[in-house]
Amino acid sequence: MKKIILLSLIFFALLAGSCKKALDVNSTRVVNEENFWNTIEDARAGIMGVYGLTRAALADNNGHWIYGDVRMGSFASPIRQDLKAVIKNDLTAQYPVVDALSNWRRFYAIVNAANIFLERIHEVRDNDARYIQNNMDVDVAQVRFLRAFAYFYMVRIWGDVPFITSSRDGSFENMPKSDGRAILEFVQSEMAAAAEVLPYNYSVGDIQQPGQYYNESSSRWNGALVRKISAYSMLAHVAAWQGKYADVSVYTKFVMDNYTRGSIGYSDTQFLTQRNGLFYDKRNSQILGFGFIWGHQDATFTGNIESLTLAEPVVNKALPDIYLTKDSIIGIFKETNDARFNIDTTGVPHSDRYITNYQGKYPIFSKIKVMQDGSSDPTFRIFSSTIVVTRLEDITLLRAEALAVLGEREGAIAALNIIRQLRYNVDNVGKATEGNTYQAYNEAKSGALIDAIFRERQKELMGEGQRWYDQVRYQRIKQSDPKFVALLNNGGIYWPIAQSVLAQNPKLTQNSYWK
Amino acid sequence: MRIIATMTFLGVLCTTTCSFGNTARSACVSNNFSMKGSFQQQTDTSKKDTASTDTSAVGIKPIKKTITHRLESKGNSLDPKKLSIFPAVTLQQALKGESAGVYVQEPTGEPGTAQNIFIHGTSQPLLTARELFQSQPLIILDGVPLTSEHPYALDIQQYKFERIGPGTNPLSIINMDNLQSVEVLKDLSAIAAYGPKGANGVILLTTKAATSKRTITFDSYVGMATKTGVTTINGQFENNFRRQFYDKYTGNGSYTGNDVYPLYLSDSLNNAYYGPANWNDLYYKNGMVYGVNASIAGGTDRANFRFSLGSLKNEGVADETGVERYNTRFVINMKPITWLNFSAMVNGSIVDRDRNRNVRDRLTQVNYIPDLSSPVASNKEKYGQYLGEFEKGFDNNKTNSIQGYLKIGLTFDNFNWITTAGADYNEGYRDIFFPRTLLQTTNYASNYFSTSQRAFVDNVASYDWEIDDDSKFNFQAGLSAQYDSYKYQYAYAYKGANDFIKLNLLYSDPNKTSGSEEYLTPSVFRRELVFKYLDKTKNNLLSANVRATYSFKDKYTFSLMLRGDGSSTQQPTSRWFYSPIFSAAWDMKKEFFEDDATISTLNLRGSAGRMGRHESFDNYAQGPQYTAFAGFTGNLISPGYNGIATMTRPYSTGGVGYDLDWAYTDQANIGLDASLFNNRVNGSLDIYMKEDKNMLLGVPSASEYGYSAIIKNGMAIRNSGVDLTLSGVILPAEKTVSWTSSLNINYNRNELTALPGGLSELAIGDRLLRVGEAVDRYWVLNNTGIYNTDDEVPSVGGQKLSYNGIDLKAGDPIWTDLNNDNIIDNHDRVLQGHALPVVSGGFNNDFSYKKWTLGLNFYYNLGRQLMNQEMANRFDFVNREGLNNINSVREITFWEKRGDYSKYNLYNPWSSVAPYQVNQDIFVEDAAFVKLRTLSLGYDLTDIVKKNSPNVKRIYVYASVNNVFTLTKYTGQDPELVDYTGYDTGYGIQIPRTYLLGVKMDF
Repeated sequence: MKKIILLSLIFFALLAGSCKKALDVNSTRVVNEENFWNTIEDARAGIMGVYGLTRAALADNNGHWIYGDVRMGSFASPIRQDLKAVIKNDLTAQYPVVDALSNWRRFYAIVNAANIFLERIHEVRDNDARYIQNNMDVDVAQVRFLRAFAYFYMVRIWGDVPFITSSRDGSFENMPKSDGRAILEFVQSEMAAAAEVLPYNYSVGDIQQPGQYYNESSSRWNGALVRKISAYSMLAHVAAWQGKYADVSVYTKFVMDNYTRGSIGYSDTQFLTQRNGLFYDKRNSQILGFGFIWGHQDATFTGNIESLTLAEPVVNKALPDIYLTKDSIIGIFKETNDARFNIDTTGVPHSDRYITNYQGKYPIFSKIKVMQDGSSDPTFRIFSSTIVVTRLEDITLLRAEALAVLGEREGAIAALNIIRQLRYNVDNVGKATEGNTYQAYNEAKSGALIDAIFRERQKELMGEGQRWYDQVRYQRIKQSDPKFVALLNNGGIYWPIAQSVLAQNPKLTQNSYWK
Repeated sequence: MRIIATMTFLGVLCTTTCSFGNTARSACVSNNFSMKGSFQQQTDTSKKDTASTDTSAVGIKPIKKTITHRLESKGNSLDPKKLSIFPAVTLQQALKGESAGVYVQEPTGEPGTAQNIFIHGTSQPLLTARELFQSQPLIILDGVPLTSEHPYALDIQQYKFERIGPGTNPLSIINMDNLQSVEVLKDLSAIAAYGPKGANGVILLTTKAATSKRTITFDSYVGMATKTGVTTINGQFENNFRRQFYDKYTGNGSYTGNDVYPLYLSDSLNNAYYGPANWNDLYYKNGMVYGVNASIAGGTDRANFRFSLGSLKNEGVADETGVERYNTRFVINMKPITWLNFSAMVNGSIVDRDRNRNVRDRLTQVNYIPDLSSPVASNKEKYGQYLGEFEKGFDNNKTNSIQGYLKIGLTFDNFNWITTAGADYNEGYRDIFFPRTLLQTTNYASNYFSTSQRAFVDNVASYDWEIDDDSKFNFQAGLSAQYDSYKYQYAYAYKGANDFIKLNLLYSDPNKTSGSEEYLTPSVFRRELVFKYLDKTKNNLLSANVRATYSFKDKYTFSLMLRGDGSSTQQPTSRWFYSPIFSAAWDMKKEFFEDDATISTLNLRGSAGRMGRHESFDNYAQGPQYTAFAGFTGNLISPGYNGIATMTRPYSTGGVGYDLDWAYTDQANIGLDASLFNNRVNGSLDIYMKEDKNMLLGVPSASEYGYSAIIKNGMAIRNSGVDLTLSGVILPAEKTVSWTSSLNINYNRNELTALPGGLSELAIGDRLLRVGEAVDRYWVLNNTGIYNTDDEVPSVGGQKLSYNGIDLKAGDPIWTDLNNDNIIDNHDRVLQGHALPVVSGGFNNDFSYKKWTLGLNFYYNLGRQLMNQEMANRFDFVNREGLNNINSVREITFWEKRGDYSKYNLYNPWSSVAPYQVNQDIFVEDAAFVKLRTLSLGYDLTDIVKKNSPNVKRIYVYASVNNVFTLTKYTGQDPELVDYTGYDTGYGIQIPRTYLLGVKMDF
């Protein structure tokens, strides 16, 4: 009996001793603070996380294109009621996608991840000698850029938004909206600061980023990251949205003068529209792009323009979610000799680069069609096109726009003609012209200069999430459409804030137009 | 030791292969097999304890309930013999309606699928599978706490209708024929011994003990599950239905210039849709059910064993679903010296399941949405071709599981010690190949393997101390450790080279380290289209408890337990949770009616206390954290950025801080057990209040910091109510006709008593949690009619009544503007209905006449409402077909006429206010019902057979009909066929009416 009691006491004591150990189980599903911000790999995972969140924010519910191309744009929707509502600017309609797109949470995830990165990255620098100062400087510049980009995106969508530049871990105080214009000033200064530090390219021995970036060769980073040219290009967009066209001309000039240093170039019409062309994979010419890289198994069923626009006969889907009606195609592609879409006087199209199945009920907008790895197999609707936020053609046209507004007509026409040279180089049946001659800008044929520039932007950047913002800038300049001008004045150009966001933060008020 | 084991095993082999001769021991006491008086058996646990002790000289009983038995409810025990008459595949089916306070959900008649048990209501708002998992009771099989399917795998699923893997109900391994007793522990004094995992209640399963007397049993039943007739419809019907809307709201058959009428309804000559709607011939079929069980027990008074085998097959009536189970169990007891007992048990099962072929469930798995513009054809010929395509592939679902323990028991006079070491190990497989023809020319292969395992050590010591005849003490101490681990390996691939190679083959030449045939890269499927996932989660739980019980004159009993529980899923600063549980009992029979023969038992008892609630997810313990998730809607799992892993805060699942603590349950109950008139009337009444407090909830907040929610402590939910079990022998057994009737009833009131941070209400998705209301309510708009013209829409100051800012027009519903702000929005929604019943239970009657027995079991739910989403979907065809997503799927049952079409106004389905959104009161329906669940007729043949073969101790034959009829006002399918959310999506497969013939024999 005594023995038993003694034995059991020993047993209990042993068991108690092993208690603490047994209860310390490190999760294999998440990483806690203790095990993060220690090594260079943590820094890499952190910065890639900010990129990943940015890509997710743009791709979510195809938001980048619904905000940019679908809203009051030239597209029509055959059966999707939610997209019809967006086309009509009916943005409080009771549809899940519309509701999700009026929620800004995913953009604030970028901001929060960036804030945490900026606050904590010095710990990696302190703990891991492999993480050198230059690596940290370049990382910080990219993250600052991405945070500014998220704010830029939000201000364009919602106008005034809460302005938060620290992570405030653990005490998430509700914040009221801040003036969108002030936020844009911040965005501009952040991007400008980043632009100073960023290299033209990574792992190529750039003076601002010597050596292998994260021990990977340049082929890994081609176009995947924010570079100096990316920062200046977005600065041009930020300035244009603010109406600071003088700044636009400065930033675009920098881009025009230096793009070759970043191995960036123009794309001919063939490369622009082919399945494995500009939009496929990561490329330096995607000045700011967030890629779904086929080789990295990133291909996705949704989160791309293709899942909205493509249908029979390009892929095996009966009806497209959105399409261009024949009327709007004819209204947009009025000029002859256009290699993107070419229609002869009898109404027969000779180029299917932008539009497939023009004769059918639903012409398919097929400019971007990166199916699988850029194959022509229509049977599996997985796409790997990169979200291209801006490219050289965009910046060139933005320069033309700025110069036109500033009254530098010659420079504007010259910039516009750079693009026209690339696109208006076929004859009336779509064959390439001899010697690559092209139709230069001609006021009689193409209309007033500012109109021609915006028309060119519409054609060139169709399906790249730019149209809505172009319309806003155009109307700010021209004030030609009274309905649209009313929207400019009463805040109707902004999206409503999601009910779920308003419900959790009492300091917010609904945007005035949607009250 | 080994010799004894070997000999015993050989003994088993011999006896099973030899004939059933050997009459020497036929003088065994009959095990009192009877359909009669089941309530006495149900209620009198103490009696059963002594009875089973008699039959086995060795074997370890749970620590004897010496003086504590008065503290326990008598309304808990169920009679497994009776339950085994029902052809149940799962434990849940067997328990349905059998015990007051136990509510079982059977959302589909597909055999072997998941079912839910709620004991005394839900402790969680049932928003997702995660909360469902945390509200389920703990099942203990012979001291082995069973694991279940951890819902962490859902984290990688875009569509969460079905968890990846075999999806087989973990409790389909329980063979009711092996069970000696089933006890449902509901009050804290009883569940406290099982620790934090039992906070939602405990179901104790005790298998039949080994006996020293040689016994052989054989049971079998065979039967047929029969389909219920349905009304089918074809394209013509659907077309006519839709024409009403086109006629009313469009001029030319098209709402806007650019929409299109669905192709499948456009061609009235298309036989696939406009031909006879006879798909049901292929979909609904009668199914076979059978079960066979045999066991043998025997040994000496120093060593004995029981060995049993069982097999079961249960076919559903729809879509060729079915389940097969094989199980075996072996238990051995040894008593080498008088004070030492060894006992070992192994229970193994294999469950094979044939799943349904729903499009939705298939796409949930495939994670790719093909073009869904045309549904499956309603015509048999076309539908048959479609079904034929499944033959080219496979969908294998298998679960293997094994439970075992080794117990050592020491007994010295008043001192008892039991150490149990055991494990529960389950593995699940699902292997799939879907040929090209099923997915728009893309084929699909996937392989899944998972394990759920729990190892545990449990020590209990008990000491009885009698000071004198009046004062008795019992001291108990327990110490246990549980180690849980769950993991899975999962891979799927699209677009294999052809339909003949159905596996994801890899190149196998280790010398090729690069190039097109690189070692271990896939050869049939493209590398870029092969997706692989691994995940695992572990948690450990340590518990210690001490309990002292004091009894005075056998009249008053008091007991106090102190617990300490440490869990690895709690944050390091708050790993341990300490709590007391107090219980008391007063034997009023002894106090007042010692000599009164009419009152056989009258016992008042009560308990109050607190216990921790176990957290199954390991991430909360980590505090602020980083995850690899950086996906988005439609692509939850992005494999990183630019081929490099990402680490970000858990923005989409919810932020975690350093301040999380244990959730716990506070419970109190008072119960009265009474037996009157020589046990002719038995009753057990329990009034309970349980409040689960400080529970975690993802509170939607911090949107401006990127989070969808912040996980916070502080949610409290109270369930209070009454359990009543009442039975009476209306005609006693001595009469030629005897009649026993028993009723069990539970009334449960659920109330949310607190939200984190003192919030008074919180909207999560389309649910509203409001303090003071139940958590299972629907949040709906009041719909009172239709605006026939634009002028009927009221306006204030020239501003028309709007829905979220969109002016209402002709064809929109008249929604009540409750707060009169001229806008219909969430503020105009009200809480209505209950997804879980307010009152539920069963009503059982047993009659006997000579050797005949007749049983009638009723099951009922009252005060329960359903959301008829199936009808809402049917009317909302414009939106559902407009999107090509998982919600646009129409199954073959789209061609079945369900529900009452005339109940609903013809709103404008194109309106952007979504007139047919499901969350409005027109779709809330009363789903109360009464079912005759079992009607059985039996005959005891023992005396007749005994004349010829004296070996037979008992032989009983029976016939039964199950699921005989349902009385309900619900207009959809069977009101039972709804999942935990209460939204009837129409996916439930009929629970069939089953006809059975069975026999039970003992030798």
